Amino acid sequence: MSQIKSVAGQDLRDMFSAATSWLEKSSADIDALNVFPVPDGDTGTNMMLTMRSTMEEAYRAPDHSAAGIAHAMARGALMGARGNSGVILSQIWRGLAQGLEEKETFTAADLAAAFQQSAQIAYKGVSNPVEGTMLTVMKDAAKAAQSEVDADNEDIIAVLEATVNAAAESVANTPMLLKVLKDAGVVDAGGQGVYTILEGALRFLRGETELMRLRKPQIIVSELPHSASMPQSAVVDEVPYGYCTEFLLKGEELEPEVIKKRLLKKGESLIVVGDDTAVRIHIHTLTPGNILQLAAKLGTMHQVSIRNMDEQHQDFLEMQKERMPTTDTAVIAVAAGDGLADVFGSLGAAAVVPGGQTMNPSTKDILQVVESTLSDKVIILPNNKNIIAAANQVQSLTQKKIAVVPTKTIPQGVVALLSFDYEAEFNTNAEIMEKALPSVKTIEITRSVRATKINGLKIKRKQPIGLLDGELIAVGDTNLDVLNQLLSRLDLEKAEVVTLYFGEDAEAEETEQINDGIMEKYPHLQVELIRGGQPHYSYIISIE
Amino acid sequence: MAVKIVTDTLSDITSDLAEELGITVVPLYVRFGETIYKDRVEITSEEFYRKLVSEANLPSTTQPTPNDFLQVYEALAKETDEILVIVVSGKLSGTYQSATQAKELMKGKCRIEVVDSLSVAMGMGLIVVSVVNAVKGGENLDEAADLARGAIARSHLVAYFDTLKYLAKGGRIGKASGLLGSLLSVKPILTIRDGEMAPLTRVRSLSAGLDYIYNYVAGFSNIEGMAVEHATTPDDADQLVERLGKIYPKERIYRSVISPVVGTYSGPNALAITILEGKKK
Repeated sequence: MSQIKSVAGQDLRDMFSAATSWLEKSSADIDALNVFPVPDGDTGTNMMLTMRSTMEEAYRAPDHSAAGIAHAMARGALMGARGNSGVILSQIWRGLAQGLEEKETFTAADLAAAFQQSAQIAYKGVSNPVEGTMLTVMKDAAKAAQSEVDADNEDIIAVLEATVNAAAESVANTPMLLKVLKDAGVVDAGGQGVYTILEGALRFLRGETELMRLRKPQIIVSELPHSASMPQSAVVDEVPYGYCTEFLLKGEELEPEVIKKRLLKKGESLIVVGDDTAVRIHIHTLTPGNILQLAAKLGTMHQVSIRNMDEQHQDFLEMQKERMPTTDTAVIAVAAGDGLADVFGSLGAAAVVPGGQTMNPSTKDILQVVESTLSDKVIILPNNKNIIAAANQVQSLTQKKIAVVPTKTIPQGVVALLSFDYEAEFNTNAEIMEKALPSVKTIEITRSVRATKINGLKIKRKQPIGLLDGELIAVGDTNLDVLNQLLSRLDLEKAEVVTLYFGEDAEAEETEQINDGIMEKYPHLQVELIRGGQPHYSYIISIE
Repeated sequence: MAVKIVTDTLSDITSDLAEELGITVVPLYVRFGETIYKDRVEITSEEFYRKLVSEANLPSTTQPTPNDFLQVYEALAKETDEILVIVVSGKLSGTYQSATQAKELMKGKCRIEVVDSLSVAMGMGLIVVSVVNAVKGGENLDEAADLARGAIARSHLVAYFDTLKYLAKGGRIGKASGLLGSLLSVKPILTIRDGEMAPLTRVRSLSAGLDYIYNYVAGFSNIEGMAVEHATTPDDADQLVERLGKIYPKERIYRSVISPVVGTYSGPNALAITILEGKKK
């Protein structure tokens, strides 16, 4: 493949111009990645508009050196920056311009150094930098560029390839760093935007313009498990959002750092960037008037935009509705323990009602979660025989269509959720899910709360006891002993998958022992060990 | 002159079947590192899957060039003046564009119609087979294209995947993205809807997957054609054919292998079953 060792100003302009068109194709997809409650509803569009302004200025630049073009880009970006992401993007170009200062053309090493500068400046512009956003993506990308250069690679395409690959990985990793992303099961929109721009520039340098015309950028998918949005945090709480306020302040001897300090306490998501003649300000505040008054004393305001974020939030919810999978049915599950809640979330439950054996949720608790889901049709998995009745009451209290699949144990709930048919209708689905229940056997191991006699067993207080499909049929001195009694009652030859959910009080050593014991005794079984985090029950075991 | 039919290798129509049907199959490309192979021509499925699991980097795939189609069109134009081109879903590949661009390059030398099958693998293959059989009755190009479009809604693909890793990394996950991220190991069952991958359900083992597929097929009362394909597990596919023999004559079930380009996204151990429903009477 041909190598490129240096790039001139016009090529710099053309490559990011191509990158802008590339981003433009993806902007709607990037918009769709936005996560409530980060209420900047349109990251893709904002970045695209910022890039347009960036490149328009680049085409007006009288100086065609790399430095001249980069400076024009930085200026265009600052003037046209929109939204949080646009402002950070403008910082990236400002860093690039600083890095390419006085360069007629630039080499791979120059580019890597300039990217480093971009990352640094971008972090500086934000009052409270958050990892797992476009800041992280730019930082990781710049780092990869630098190490490629440090490995003596002079080919700009190769260095940019390393940069783009690192950006992609960094984007895929954003849900790991930022919980809101993980909960929503998406990658960071701004990060995706940065990646797309860099990728567009790379494709242009590789000469893939024809392909760029026909294709469109791919949204990076994260393979991370995403947990169910717990209703308390996501929908039930009404967080006051206030107004997203942004404008460009022009004046003389402006001091961005001083302005930033003065605005710091006035709201959230504050960004103040610029130089002594032009400063761009972005803030989420309940009192936009105060911000504007303050700014009016410093200079003239331009491109003032104040948007009500509660309205944006409503729009966002509407959009989420449209983005739901092919089905309009939500499934909610009752489970105790963060591990179990994550399991249900990762399998597509819309929400998890906290509760279980010792803490039965009320009808009202379940109703609240039902109302909080975006679907009009909700299937409830009570996962406990003492909760089924409360779940059955929900229908009489809501306009939504409700079906209760009478799951008595966590493993039954999991099997029901797994068998969910994405193309089936609501009632059919409830039937399919109920039909799946006999395909699983449940073992639960806990400790007796009092001395008693039951099913011919004499049980002492705090002694390990075992239940098979809800019926107490084993008692012993150790958990292992109880488990073995229960396993001997089952025909494991026909079973295929055993899932062991260990509870919050399960001992790691014992868990290993149990796991190894099953694998040794029944080598044909696929055994999975999952942290359930459930209280009181050391082990819940599913046998399919 | 009879209408000539062209498709691409993602139809999973084997070279034997292509010869029998008298159709032309244009290969896509699959690339491992610096080496580019013509799908099914320069790399066999066996070789491909061996490399897929052993190479550090995943392969990438590319549509045929317009020139690839142009050459086919020019060759066929010597024998016919009507060509029907049935290609893989435009949401999964840019093959449709290449086929259409080549049509423009022909500048009307021959009547050409390009149909997006909105499907892939034998989901598209059985559409092609159905059209070829119909065209023997002397249909003209417009009628043949209508037949192809009509067959799209009758083609039902159901696939068992061992993992969604390849589909997700290849950017073809479509509506099945909701199945990603499970904390338990699950095997997705997918279909194709409106030209993109979509979820049907999930199972936890191969045998549960095979049960699901059997029941899915058993839900059809009017079956015109059936195909069973494997990636790396021919025995599983053969057993499924035996079992499906209770529903449909097993000697009429087309057996094929998931082509390298499709395999790039399905990964090893995948199985795909297609039902072509009969026309409603």
